Amino acid sequence: MKIAKRVAFPRYAEYNCALKYFVEQGLDATYILQPALTRRTEELGAKYSPDFVCTPFKTVLGSMIEALEAGADTIFMTHGLCRLGYFGELQEQILRDLGYTFDFVNLSEYSTGKKRDWLRAIKRVNPKPNLGKLTLRAWDTIKMAQYLDQVTDFYYQNCGFDATGGQYKQIYQQFISGMYTAASKQDIQVVYQRAMDKFQRVPLDKPARPLRVGIVGELYTVMDPFSNLELEQKLADMGVEIHRWMSITNRLVHYPGENNLNPEIRDLCTYEMGPTSTANIWCAKKYAQQGFDGLIHIKSANCTPEIDIMPVLQNISSDYKIPLLCLTYDSQTSDVGLMTRLEAFYDMIDAKKRVRR
Amino acid sequence: MKQAYLGIDVGSISTKGVIIDDDNQILSSSYIWTEGDPIGAVKRLLRLLEQDFPKDTYTVMGTGATGSARKLVGTIVGATIVKNEITAHAVGTTTFYPNVRTILEIGGQDSKIILVENGVAVDYAMNTLCAAGTGAFLSSQAKRLGMEVEEIGDYALRSQHPTPIAARCTVFAESDLVHKIQMGHPREDIIAGVCRAVVANYLNNVGKGKKILSPVVFQGGVSKNAGVVAAFEDALGCKVLVDKNGHLMGALGAAILARRSKVRKAFDFAVEDLEFHTREATCGRCPNNCEIICVYQGSRLIDAWGNRCEQGAVTPE
Repeated sequence: MKIAKRVAFPRYAEYNCALKYFVEQGLDATYILQPALTRRTEELGAKYSPDFVCTPFKTVLGSMIEALEAGADTIFMTHGLCRLGYFGELQEQILRDLGYTFDFVNLSEYSTGKKRDWLRAIKRVNPKPNLGKLTLRAWDTIKMAQYLDQVTDFYYQNCGFDATGGQYKQIYQQFISGMYTAASKQDIQVVYQRAMDKFQRVPLDKPARPLRVGIVGELYTVMDPFSNLELEQKLADMGVEIHRWMSITNRLVHYPGENNLNPEIRDLCTYEMGPTSTANIWCAKKYAQQGFDGLIHIKSANCTPEIDIMPVLQNISSDYKIPLLCLTYDSQTSDVGLMTRLEAFYDMIDAKKRVRR
Repeated sequence: MKQAYLGIDVGSISTKGVIIDDDNQILSSSYIWTEGDPIGAVKRLLRLLEQDFPKDTYTVMGTGATGSARKLVGTIVGATIVKNEITAHAVGTTTFYPNVRTILEIGGQDSKIILVENGVAVDYAMNTLCAAGTGAFLSSQAKRLGMEVEEIGDYALRSQHPTPIAARCTVFAESDLVHKIQMGHPREDIIAGVCRAVVANYLNNVGKGKKILSPVVFQGGVSKNAGVVAAFEDALGCKVLVDKNGHLMGALGAAILARRSKVRKAFDFAVEDLEFHTREATCGRCPNNCEIICVYQGSRLIDAWGNRCEQGAVTPE
């Protein structure tokens, strides 16, 4: 039975396709997909946000407004392990003050880790969910997110060496739009398989030992191309293999956990400093040990957990002699300034690699 | 005819140009203020460079552009290479100081630190979000004291007891400076305090977490200020080298990069008489509203940029 609810999530990289699938196939509700993030989103968000809050808060708020404009009546907001956990409450208040009428499902209120509480959140959309179907579709959703991360990883590791000048990008975009229209487990499988098959057929102009850069950073900005000004694409286009472990499925589904990661970075730090800090330090160390040519650390301005790990990253940089570029994004950051820093970083790691040989 | 290479560095405050030969010898050089008009500044710069340039024995066969206006200037002069200022500075300095370990660079609105090992840059940092500890700070404080920015360096050296200035932020520093003036601190002490503030800010901001090893080379416009040089030597506890062409290092780096690249194209000084102008257009095809800059030579569109996607692409005729 179709539910009358019109559900939306804030835009977050391309993960909305998985959320759409879950809402439509699992909850039988309508999913409202607002426009992709643009400068308008950011300006709208910044206008109604506290000035010193981190940029993801602003972007997410702007995206919620765009979802309401697009006709959504139920907005979901994620929970989180840093200040992110408090964002939903404030965003709901701001939107109510602006005069919007909507249901707000703040997952922070349900994130006890118990299935029973997640189900309570789901019942806000569909009071009588078919549990069997819901579980199956939830698995499909995770699978879709996993394929998305897998294809995205593969894309950024290779697109900089595309010998055809654009086929890679085209295949990736077709893959993304395919995932947005997928309506069954078979669809998901077919879209994924087709993209991977097509990628294999594109001739690559890749040296035996290409420049490899590892990217670590704050959960939202590191994954969302709009928020990091398409850093990965820009750097890849210079002819660099980009590696980024931090993704939704790696952090939420395959996360080895603090207890497993901490012993591996004991020489660098003792305590957990935030939701992504242990993973980022572990990951940066791994990249350094694997002989990567550079590390880039991405965060939004005022992100305390990520500021805290910067000294540790600097230690990794000097211990393993790996160049480190730290970038801070806020709603005023310009494309030109980023390009200057990235070009210089590329020149530096490129020259260093030549001398080493 | 022997080959020569032109390097142009157009920054926020000043515009620098050099012409070098195959042995990196400077044939002609010039340093002028940008005054918010990069196109006009480049034309004036080229006129000045042309005066000393031995046209009968050399032709300019490579042109490099760098600095924050590199793209615009590169288009106008038909540059054979356009490089960011960080790389240009590193290349320039390591060519003249192959043993250098640390390059400190303070310009009009940006400051950078470049760490070098075996003649190759291995780490760098550039200021973000804040212009404290740059030339702009020095100029505005000099103006407040009724002095030219060029004279405050030597004036600072007279001081025996530099006044501490709270230099976290340019605006707050200015309030503190006014306070110290009104309290009756001698002028040379205040100026020396301002120079120290620049250094403290630089080391706390850009230099944070970086291992500064000797030999240290200091360059950029602010390196011409003896007060700041003395403050750096004091803070770092080592000799700080300042090249007599330190203010030209970006331009020199661009010229050297033009020489190293394989691209050769004769440069014509007639550019200085051509008419260039820019126009800004808003794309408007999506809510990003990209600002597209179109560069015209006379009425002919020669280049355009600023679009994020193909929808806003403007193709020159």
